[in-house]
Amino acid sequence: MRPEEAIGSETVEAREARAPFRFPREMVVGLLALAVAWEIVSWFVPPFIVPGWGRIFKSLLGLPLDFVLVTLARVVGALVVSFVLGLGLAVAMYASTPVERYARPLVRLLMAVPVVCWILFAVLWFKWVEFRIAFVLVVVCAPVFLVDALDAMKGVSKDLRDMLRSFRPTRVQLFTKLVLPATVPAILTSWKINLSLAIRVVTIAELVGAVTGIGYGLVVAQELFSVSEVFAWTLILVVILFLAEAVLTRVEERILRWRA
Amino acid sequence: MKGAGAIDVAGLRKVFRHTGGGEAVVAIERLDFTIRQGDMVAIVGQTGCGKSTFLNILIGLERPTEGRVAIGGRTPYGDFDHFRGTLAAVFQQDRLLPWRTALDNVRLPLELLGRAPDEQARRARAWLDRLGLARFERAYPHELSGGMRQRVALARAFVIEPALLLADEAFGHLDEVTSAALRTTFIDLARTEGHTAILVTHQLEEAIDMGGRILVFGRPGALLADIDLHSWPRTSVAGLRGDIQRMLQSNAPLKEPPA
Ligand SMILES: Nc1ncnc2c1ncn2[C@@H]1O[C@H](COP(=O)(O)OP(=O)(O)OP(=O)(O)O)[C@@H](O)[C@H]1O
Ligand SMILES: [Mg+2]
Repeated sequence: MRPEEAIGSETVEAREARAPFRFPREMVVGLLALAVAWEIVSWFVPPFIVPGWGRIFKSLLGLPLDFVLVTLARVVGALVVSFVLGLGLAVAMYASTPVERYARPLVRLLMAVPVVCWILFAVLWFKWVEFRIAFVLVVVCAPVFLVDALDAMKGVSKDLRDMLRSFRPTRVQLFTKLVLPATVPAILTSWKINLSLAIRVVTIAELVGAVTGIGYGLVVAQELFSVSEVFAWTLILVVILFLAEAVLTRVEERILRWRA
Repeated sequence: MKGAGAIDVAGLRKVFRHTGGGEAVVAIERLDFTIRQGDMVAIVGQTGCGKSTFLNILIGLERPTEGRVAIGGRTPYGDFDHFRGTLAAVFQQDRLLPWRTALDNVRLPLELLGRAPDEQARRARAWLDRLGLARFERAYPHELSGGMRQRVALARAFVIEPALLLADEAFGHLDEVTSAALRTTFIDLARTEGHTAILVTHQLEEAIDMGGRILVFGRPGALLADIDLHSWPRTSVAGLRGDIQRMLQSNAPLKEPPA
């Protein structure tokens, strides 16, 4: 955690994530330019390939917006479950080397399986649709929480550990006063990673069998050959993702005030 | 807790076996000496002569390969938890927890000892105040200068009123003025609190300032001289410094003791 080492290699995004809020002028200009270009293209291309903004917004108003809430609820629910599972297992693996030795390869295996396979397994194994979706999300997100948290726990500096140990802490104190707080930045980062992962995966998971949610909305739009509806849903997804990331970045700033 | 007792070092040897097929490193060849309760001891020696290793063994973080170190008859590694609240160390780097404010860093050892929250705050404040940091109790470590951070680390060591106080090149990397000031603070505090204090350093001035006893370590980890400043035949600081320097350079005790 030496700030002077990080600065050179930092991305613009990482630096901005910690800077105080500033109106994102470049971002807005860029997005507007894209939107204008889109509109111009739509004048020359048939609407079933590139629909203009007028059509997209008309579709937007006609969409069942409660699907958004349903999808969000699925994402948040699955993330909370994944987090509890991932952190719980990380603590167990941190506390016991045998547990870590057995569990590591299994977790690797889980992470190597493509999302599509999980979706097919979910369909083959489970009947209840909500459970299928939750299963896919948890099996994809929990390992990320687990591995990131465990690596951060293992990476706690020996110097700090020795310092704390010189005061003779209990095992629990060593964990709560040093290991856990040292892991907070990694946990926040894995929330960010998993949030965008979950939002992208949930829609695919909803393609199979769900009769609510944005994924289902996309299937319906596709069956109706309504390109503008597909675009409208996509727009909603992207906006949700941006908003969620902005919120998490604020939270991170708050919690990580202590960082240089 | 008053008095940890005398420190007995007998036939101490420490070998690090490097993992991965590398050669074993003898960090401490052999050490034998006794430190009485309340002594102020400075350990000097060239880099790599096992000073930090010796201190880590005293703290209980490393286990002796052979021989024995006992504090008041108990071994710090074996009777690890016996030394709860008894000893405190200041390291070369401040080793503050970056997510805690200065005050909360000083409170940490009291938290670990399970003291009541208001007592923690009161004692931590008193020590920050004594080290001239009252205005900075809410600052995070990254907002403090190196010297200020090291003072917070000092407060964190003193706050539990340890019977045994250890410092491993705690002031060496700061500028001369800051380092001299902190050293003086350390020595004064250790003396007024009546702690046994062991200060590892490679600066002879620092060792002579301690005004007690100087253990000169040769490489690898062996005692070249055990100098009691009150009974050493040299009267001048320059002469004493010359003696020590000669021993460090030749890595051997003086052939003929100074007249
Ligand atoms: N954990 C370790 N594993 C392997 N070798 C070690 C370890 N700690 C110390 N050593 C080796 O032991 C020897 C003594 O190291 P030590 O840090 O005790 O020296 P020192 O006197 O404190 O030196 P300095 O003045 O540079 O701090 C060195 O050769 C070092 O490489
Ligand atoms: Mg050292």
